[in-house]
Amino acid sequence: MRTKEGRLGWLFASPYLLYAVVFFLIPLVWSLFLSATNWNLISPTFSFVGIQNYLEAFKSPGVQAAFFVAFKFMAVFVPLVIALSIIVALIVQGLPRFKGIFLIGFFLPYLASGVVSSLIVKGILSYNSPVNEFLRKAFGLDIDWLGSPFAALFVVALIIAWKFTGYYALILTSGFESINKEVYEAAMIDGVNAWQRFWKITFPLLYPALYTVLILAIGVTFGIFTEVYQLTGGGPNFATNTWQMEIFSRAFTNLQAGYASAIAIIASVVTFISIYVIRKLLELWGKRNGWD
Amino acid sequence: MAGTKKKGLWFRYLIAVAFLLVMIFPYIYMVLNSFADWDQVDRKLIPTHYTLKSYQWLLGGGEAVIPRPWIHAFFNSFIVSAGSTFLMMVTAVMVAYALAKIPFKGRNTINNIILFQMFFPAIILLIPTFLVIQKVGMYDSYWGMILPKALSLWAIFMYTNFFKAIPETFIEAAKLDGASNLQIMFKIVLPMSKSITTVIFLFLFMERWTELLWDMIVTKSDNMLTLNVLLSQMFGPYGGYPGPMYAASVLLTMPIILIFLAFAKKFQEGMQFTLK
Repeated sequence: MRTKEGRLGWLFASPYLLYAVVFFLIPLVWSLFLSATNWNLISPTFSFVGIQNYLEAFKSPGVQAAFFVAFKFMAVFVPLVIALSIIVALIVQGLPRFKGIFLIGFFLPYLASGVVSSLIVKGILSYNSPVNEFLRKAFGLDIDWLGSPFAALFVVALIIAWKFTGYYALILTSGFESINKEVYEAAMIDGVNAWQRFWKITFPLLYPALYTVLILAIGVTFGIFTEVYQLTGGGPNFATNTWQMEIFSRAFTNLQAGYASAIAIIASVVTFISIYVIRKLLELWGKRNGWD
Repeated sequence: MAGTKKKGLWFRYLIAVAFLLVMIFPYIYMVLNSFADWDQVDRKLIPTHYTLKSYQWLLGGGEAVIPRPWIHAFFNSFIVSAGSTFLMMVTAVMVAYALAKIPFKGRNTINNIILFQMFFPAIILLIPTFLVIQKVGMYDSYWGMILPKALSLWAIFMYTNFFKAIPETFIEAAKLDGASNLQIMFKIVLPMSKSITTVIFLFLFMERWTELLWDMIVTKSDNMLTLNVLLSQMFGPYGGYPGPMYAASVLLTMPIILIFLAFAKKFQEGMQFTLK
């Protein structure tokens, strides 16, 4: 019986084991190996270059940009999406009926392909678009949205925030619902105003849901590709050059497979450490304020 | 008193509707422009003249090399997404059942490896996975797009948590009646998992349907392109044909929205569990 169960367990788990070997273990070793070569993705020959790829990567403007761009996206995207999803959650929370329908409605942007949302935004921001016509006529503003570094970064962050707002609002809503209503009643009696109520009661009690959303959002900032590829190609002047964009263009446009592998390894290490540190800081911040 | 409260309520719904309209405005803009007269596309917030020209262009083939490229790409997307999602669901149920309900030696180790892999930045695997696919001769094929995405760690994780919450007594009772593990899985565990299955299915299918990077790397011929990749390449850096661009966007977006709305109720039920 024991051994039969044991065999069955391994049999059922075998798809994962197979997958882990073929699509995790082998690629992992292969990528370490590649990063020490100068292979160009097509040529049958290559030679070992040791750590030269890494040294070159550290000096490259594209890689340096990618390092900072991840944090720039975090600085713009995370507050934006948190604010929007809290607003949506608060709006939905205030409705006695049809909550579900509104939540479904707000979730719809999550279904959009990054290509589609980028193309729509490109249309909305094209030179002769109603938005730009209006800005020119009303304020004399002529903004080159995708041609200036900060505007391009902001546009991409906004598209991604648009996508995730409804999803995160759903998580926050369930956080709101787990808050005991009596706490509010007690606060009402003590004469607490709405502003204080939000910051002193709702916000701390929302912390677990907020923590989840923050971790998800920070994860998103390290994986941005589609919108950047479609809209800016990493430009202008590397202002939106994310890690994925840098690796993609090095490996599959410039065919520097060895060099790109080295960048991918640097990117992974940086991503892993950053997320780990931010996570610990968030937990510390929560603990210090007595939330959990 | 009741009057002011009612007024406040009206106002709340008004704000909610207004905010919702702003949020889904890009979709509205997309649909309107896909039907707009070509010289009005991207020139008016709400176009005034409408035509089916964009859709005719799209279905007629536009200017691409192979006949009816958009319909072809649509089917490619469907085959790849359906195949990939189906395999991800099957593998996730199998592995999760083993991890949650079959006691065997090494279970905890496998569980820990999965957790480790989940937090491992996947970007490091992009280039070598491409090489693996190339080496086994699957470059530029459906299998090349499907197999590397035939297993989802997230789906395993979700199912494992859900299966663990199913009381052991159900399983024990069935075992006493002589049911095999396969029977237990199909007759007891899966019927209890409908709402979580809906959530997992929708997220997986949606993610696969809108994938760009991998499908773009692993295909080269025109008749292998998925809809998302074709859309990206056709209307990429040089623009042109904005009307058909919106029509193609509608073609890509509508199926996923319809599927989602069809399952919306079950989806909400399932989300209740996942967010606990």
